[in-house]
Amino acid sequence: MSILITRPLHDAVTHYLYHWSESLVEKAKSKKLSVIDLQKEKASRKLVESYLEKQHPDTVIFNGHGDDVCVTGQDEEVLIEAGKNSYLLKDKVVYMRACDSGKVLGPKSVEEGAEAFIGYKELFRFWTDGESIHKPLKDEYAKPFFETSNQVALSLIKGKSAKESHDDSLKVYTKVISDLLTSKSSNSFVVADLIWNMYNQVCLEKQEI
Amino acid sequence: MTTDNTEKISQDAINLVIARLKTIPSNAKLSIGGEKETLSIENLIEEVKKQSEIGKKVVESQMFFLRSLQDLPLAPTN
Repeated sequence: MSILITRPLHDAVTHYLYHWSESLVEKAKSKKLSVIDLQKEKASRKLVESYLEKQHPDTVIFNGHGDDVCVTGQDEEVLIEAGKNSYLLKDKVVYMRACDSGKVLGPKSVEEGAEAFIGYKELFRFWTDGESIHKPLKDEYAKPFFETSNQVALSLIKGKSAKESHDDSLKVYTKVISDLLTSKSSNSFVVADLIWNMYNQVCLEKQEI
Repeated sequence: MTTDNTEKISQDAINLVIARLKTIPSNAKLSIGGEKETLSIENLIEEVKKQSEIGKKVVESQMFFLRSLQDLPLAPTN
């Protein structure tokens, strides 16, 4: 099994995505998967297209900004755009941690042959403590958002199906939300946006389209 | 689940969301959508008051949370 992951790093948002995705790369390597880690400047359209066409990774994980029709890489370069080069996702399981990716780009990719697509049909959100920019993995406000969303990728890396991975993630959301709602912790305010991400995380499979 | 962005949000909802935002620790910042930088509580309150696109999104998620509380599939507590 092979996996391609994009990790741009050029602003506060991608800074968190980049660092919270490190454990995914490590996990995939520990499982002896073939890992194509397109980080920073390597998260370019040219390289993404080239690897998708020539290396045929089974699983593709995108981290970055996005909208209804596209996901971006380093310095906001469009990596995949619905109807333009989304056909390159054919036969692949895709997890796109990017805003609104489940609205148009997700369905279009599956329509064009992607095995499955997990993404968000609304804006993906997360809180930060404003002080942990140099140690984002220690940010207790951000942690619930990345523990829950990372589970999708972790389950895919373990070889589970897209639906199983999506469901595993929802279980982690449920646990984390329950824990926060019944705790006195200072980060319990994040629950509203955690629920938002949970309810807007979608899993689209080939037969559904 | 989504709100038509042209739909007018009630003043009661705006006031409620602002009151909720004021209970959040002042160091907290929200990353939302295509915004490259995170937004402080002060920024968010301003966005909600002027009912910008971001402000509407914040109201939408907070109201969704309040409405969904009774239906949450919570894990059993120990």
